Amino acid sequence: MLERGLSRLGMVSNRSKSLFYGFLSLTSLMLIWFLSTSVFELIEPRVLPSPVAVVNQLIWIIEVPFSGLTLPGHILSSLERWGWGVFTAMVIGIPVGVLFAWTPWFKSLMNPVFELIHFIPPFAYIPLAVLWFGASTATQAMVVFVAAFPAFVINTQLGVSQVDKILVDAARVYGAGPFATLRRVVIPAAAPSIYTGLRIAISNGWMALVGAELVVGKVGLGFMISQGQENASVATIFVGVITIGWLGVMIDTIVQRSERYVLPWRKNVSLNSG
Amino acid sequence: MDRLPGSKSFLVGIAAIGCWVIVWWWLTRSGGPVPTLYFPSPEDVWTKFVRMWTRPYIGSTLLEHILSSLYIVLFGWAVAAVVGIPLGIAMAWWKKLKWIVFPIFQIIRPVPPLAWIPLTILWLGIGDIARMSVVFIAALVPWLMNSMLAVYSVDKILIDAGKTLGANDRQILTRIVCRTALPTLVAAARMALGNAWSTLVAAEILAATAGLGYVAVNASQLLDTDVLLVAMFMIAILGIALTALISLTQRYLAPWSVTSVQRG
Amino acid sequence: MPHDNDTNKSIPGQPKLELRHITKRFGKEGAGVLAVDDCSLSVENGEFVCVVGPSGCGKSTLMTVGAGLEDATEGDVLIDGEPAGPPGPRRSVVFQKFALFPSETVEQNIKFGLQMTGVPKSEQESRLVSQLRIMGLEHFRKAYPSELSGGMQQRVAIARALVMQPEILLMDEPFGALDAQTRTILQEEVQRLHREQHYTVLFITHSVEEAVYLGDRVVVMTKRPGRIKKEISLPRDVVWKTGDIEEAAEHPDFITARREIWSLVREEIMAP
Repeated sequence: MLERGLSRLGMVSNRSKSLFYGFLSLTSLMLIWFLSTSVFELIEPRVLPSPVAVVNQLIWIIEVPFSGLTLPGHILSSLERWGWGVFTAMVIGIPVGVLFAWTPWFKSLMNPVFELIHFIPPFAYIPLAVLWFGASTATQAMVVFVAAFPAFVINTQLGVSQVDKILVDAARVYGAGPFATLRRVVIPAAAPSIYTGLRIAISNGWMALVGAELVVGKVGLGFMISQGQENASVATIFVGVITIGWLGVMIDTIVQRSERYVLPWRKNVSLNSG
Repeated sequence: MDRLPGSKSFLVGIAAIGCWVIVWWWLTRSGGPVPTLYFPSPEDVWTKFVRMWTRPYIGSTLLEHILSSLYIVLFGWAVAAVVGIPLGIAMAWWKKLKWIVFPIFQIIRPVPPLAWIPLTILWLGIGDIARMSVVFIAALVPWLMNSMLAVYSVDKILIDAGKTLGANDRQILTRIVCRTALPTLVAAARMALGNAWSTLVAAEILAATAGLGYVAVNASQLLDTDVLLVAMFMIAILGIALTALISLTQRYLAPWSVTSVQRG
Repeated sequence: MPHDNDTNKSIPGQPKLELRHITKRFGKEGAGVLAVDDCSLSVENGEFVCVVGPSGCGKSTLMTVGAGLEDATEGDVLIDGEPAGPPGPRRSVVFQKFALFPSETVEQNIKFGLQMTGVPKSEQESRLVSQLRIMGLEHFRKAYPSELSGGMQQRVAIARALVMQPEILLMDEPFGALDAQTRTILQEEVQRLHREQHYTVLFITHSVEEAVYLGDRVVVMTKRPGRIKKEISLPRDVVWKTGDIEEAAEHPDFITARREIWSLVREEIMAP
């Protein structure tokens, strides 16, 4: 009753109420975890370690190497392969997307190969990549590449083909050649869509990398959790899973926030990741 | 955009595929530039494909591997639907439920589903249940999020119209909201299945005794590149077929949305 | 065809629908937007009242409050002198954007309200059939809204409202989304329906011409926050109210009324 009265007076906003409930639910979840493991010891630590054990393990492997590297070491090597894969996909994918939008014959020719890459889940490339490159950085970069590449092509193509024809005509009226039109009109107009592609590529690539590291390799966060499994150390798996999720969110947030600096002409940054 | 008319673009597509097969064949011909160990010729792949139907590869025939994959992906996907759709709709309908449950999902969501594989292996072994759980997690998030969005995407004016025609809350939910949201749910089904399928492949690579991903990883270790390609093609074809099947159901579940699409 | 409205007991001197000192504010007191400010408005039994005003003046908000879809911040909505309560079949609403259920056929859409309120099956069917005939929709029974033109969709929406045999019909810029030709035809249709069946109608529009053609009385609103600027009763000239809109528009009284109302609306649009 009180809550309803307050909200009618506009004193409690929906936002703060939702934060309150969210806080409540997450805290109680943590509390249940803590009580059932640390206090009442209902669950064996072998199956589910206590939050304290997870935090301890986190602190421990930040300094002491686990399976060859410390946690920051695993993070850096994951980021490195991921970066290479996404970067290569971008460098190739954006021009291919522009070509797809502008040259129908090129699209018709390349489409079967592209659709094949697009429809085979990136993880299915892992065995092939292993066979080709062995357990090297190239294996993982290739898997990240096939995961990220379609997102760049599709969204670039979409953005370019959606550019208002009037803008292109206007540029032509003022004497712009094809290259100038591309640089001054088409790319800026297609940029928001390309940016969406970047965000999708980044998260797809990240996911694929974890998969690739789980299967093959001697470093990286995916490798770390697979080692956690081999050593039956659930705490390490938890640390790995949390780090993977957290890094994914961080990277996405940075990219999302940076959009308004990279594309300042875009007033409303939509969160559409469709 | 000048688009090619339907039948013509189909022919062009066939021609392009033909070109690529010829290129493939030329590159991998005996004495050609690409050794068959790295990339087998089309004939090799075809021969292996035919043989795998009758002769078991690592324990099962191709059909048995396919059925094993399908069984697990469909089961995990369906259970995720049974949980995700009602929960998603309920979360959109009752704000408080959303405030309580949503934060938990927000925490789980960024973790790639396959990062749970080591955990499920430790907890559940390498049996079917472990893979089903991973598929379930992979499919649950799209089911739930999109069911919620589907409800939100129902135009408020339709709810108003329902109210003025004397519908109560329950009638509005079942007759207006759920039905209007159906096309979005079909899209959710497609997305969930896509996620489930690709995650299953990863799970089969890591922990399985049958399935197409299991075939692929074994072929890779045994350097059977032709078998590996058969597995990859089958993974792609089944993925396309399953998605197409779901798109087809839209015609029966939500015929109005199909006609509106056709009329642009 | 006799209609329920004629048999409704109406208390003389008691308006059918009354909006009494309605104020609607969105957001917090002081900081929010004042959409409607102390509007009082009544519609007599069988009367056709049009509300005109500049865009964004709160006339649609007034309608939403009148339909019971939103609560007024202050003020009351009364039907036959009693609080109107939540929305329901006594007041049918026709929305500008049609608001047809996309997943239901024309037939299902029109029957929707009858099913919700538990009208017997056989009566549902007979009411549906006569309504389809009245609105000229017999051939579109099984069509989905997405297969119909805007004009046909709005016919379905009107049929869906009328089939409820409402005591009051609320129409919120119902022809605003239609092209000019379709609009003219539907205006004449609504005019005919009202003439024959004496519906009690509250009609929101931004078209002065439409208001003069359809209304027995026209209420002019100020720009935001919306207040009642002036009420003008229109002479019920037989020629003008029965003819088509082209013919009516040439009637001297029509021209005078249109000019007067337009100058009031223009004042509001141009006001600083």
